[in-house]
Amino acid sequence: MTDVPQTQLSVPHRGLHRGLLRRPHRRLHWWRKVQNNWLHLIMAPLALLWLSPMIWILVTSLKTNVEVFDQTAGFWPHKLTFSNYPSTLSVAPFGTYLINSVIVTASILGGQLITITLAAYAFARLSFPGKSLLFTLFLLQVMFPIYAIFLTNFVTLREMGLVNTIPAMIVPFIASGYGTFMLRQSFRQVPSELSDAARLDGCNHLDILWHVYLPLVKPTLIAFAIISVVTHWNDYMWPLLVTNSESIRTLPIGLGLLAKADSGADWPRLMAGTTIVVSPLLLLFVIFQRRFIDSFMHTGVK
Amino acid sequence: MSHAFARARRNEMLLAYALLLPSLVFLAAFTYWPILRSVWFSLHDVLLGDPDIYWVGAENYLRLLDDRLFWKVLSNTAFYTLTTIPLSIAAALLLAVALDSKLRGMAIYRSAFFYPVMIPSVAAGMVWVFLYAPGYGPINEALTRIGLPRLDWLYDSKWALPAIVLMSVWKYSGYFMLILLAALKLVPSDLYEAARLDGVSAWHRLLHITIPLISPTLYFVIIIGTLHSYQIFDYVYVMTQGGPADSTNVLTFYIYQNGFQYQDIGYASALANALLIFVLGLIGLVAVTLGRKVHYLGER
Repeated sequence: MTDVPQTQLSVPHRGLHRGLLRRPHRRLHWWRKVQNNWLHLIMAPLALLWLSPMIWILVTSLKTNVEVFDQTAGFWPHKLTFSNYPSTLSVAPFGTYLINSVIVTASILGGQLITITLAAYAFARLSFPGKSLLFTLFLLQVMFPIYAIFLTNFVTLREMGLVNTIPAMIVPFIASGYGTFMLRQSFRQVPSELSDAARLDGCNHLDILWHVYLPLVKPTLIAFAIISVVTHWNDYMWPLLVTNSESIRTLPIGLGLLAKADSGADWPRLMAGTTIVVSPLLLLFVIFQRRFIDSFMHTGVK
Repeated sequence: MSHAFARARRNEMLLAYALLLPSLVFLAAFTYWPILRSVWFSLHDVLLGDPDIYWVGAENYLRLLDDRLFWKVLSNTAFYTLTTIPLSIAAALLLAVALDSKLRGMAIYRSAFFYPVMIPSVAAGMVWVFLYAPGYGPINEALTRIGLPRLDWLYDSKWALPAIVLMSVWKYSGYFMLILLAALKLVPSDLYEAARLDGVSAWHRLLHITIPLISPTLYFVIIIGTLHSYQIFDYVYVMTQGGPADSTNVLTFYIYQNGFQYQDIGYASALANALLIFVLGLIGLVAVTLGRKVHYLGER
């Protein structure tokens, strides 16, 4: 099927290999070493470039406001100024924002895990009329994120009297077509002998789902959970539209407000606030790097 | 016997519907009902919070065709999508290929390119406002140092949208890179080895081996990129509020302006439907033009 038939390429390769002695092989090794180091010369500056906005946030949060606008001041702070942190905490209730963010993100994840587990099992293991049509409806949801349909959702929630409440930030995300799809793929890889055996032992479908399927798809559940948490923890538009009081705002909204109030007048304080807002996820990312990377990595392969 | 079988089948069907019910309730209420409702709204004169609505037929759509700002906003949206996606995927592909060659320190590089995904869009937008600041921002400082002219970036109607594109490339390339890295791992390495021994240059290996073999994933990344491009609302809201002179006003933001600032739900709904048609059209276009060219490794 591919442009490059495998056999055509691997045959001369095998022939060459047999004909080669040890020495050229060592030369190949040496050459690879040069090539790798050459790559570092490009990759290291690039990585630094990618990291520079984050470095900028941290460094600025330790400067004084005078230094920021002084073009002769140089990159590093003259003296480390930690007072920007208490000062940003005193102008905005980041503690309340943090609690709200945790409540919203955790509720969305909890709701999603229930709905996608049940739906994915039905799609993976049961047969019923209308299955493919319903599955298409689930998949199509991926195309219509809140950014595309926020307007009428806002009107609906207003009619329900939910605007400016915590549930308003949660309910639009409880069903997840993407999560259902991901989990269905994993459920289908569970050998059917396992569930057949459980069936013979007298387990019903829900027992099988709970005791056989869920323990086996834990990696998928974790991957989905990480992606969901990152998405909703960082979400800006929807909480912005449905909240207007301090007591229910989430971290990103709080940061946006602080920026608006400051309007570039006090960058060090604002960057201290930014550091506070970005650090929970970045710390988790640094600690559980492999898990995070694996989760995002395999969103594409299936 | 067949009676019992029929009953078992019926039970299975009922169980399936019961399992789907929780999802379907939320899908119906917050995904499909809003879409139908926005079609309905777009045919009416509706004000936010006003219970009276009036049938106006296609008037909102006729207004949309006449609205010069709408066409500008649409072309801004197209510009953003059609530059951000190719640029960030090209960057992602090059990074992925470089990191796939078992480079030492690979894990560090990978995280360095990926971490922007973890940063909330509002924080990213704000930092880049700072970085782009004309007077004291580090980007202009750097430009001066290497002898290039300083730019007004977000305050210049010519540069504001490209500035947001550049920021988006920084924000998303790492994510696309990870997905492509996973695909590259599945490409049999003897294929490269053989091509290299045959004297095929790195560029040609990329073009004739790597890209065809990972094309299903590339295709998937393009779709994901299209969906992610909705998020430009956050950047526009935080960085420019659509300005200067509407040069960064995009469809999601224009819907917000009409619906929330002018309270004109009818017209905003017509715009929202235009956005859905735009995105579905774009995805359809990708499916027709690239979907056919996608190569699958092995039997798939």
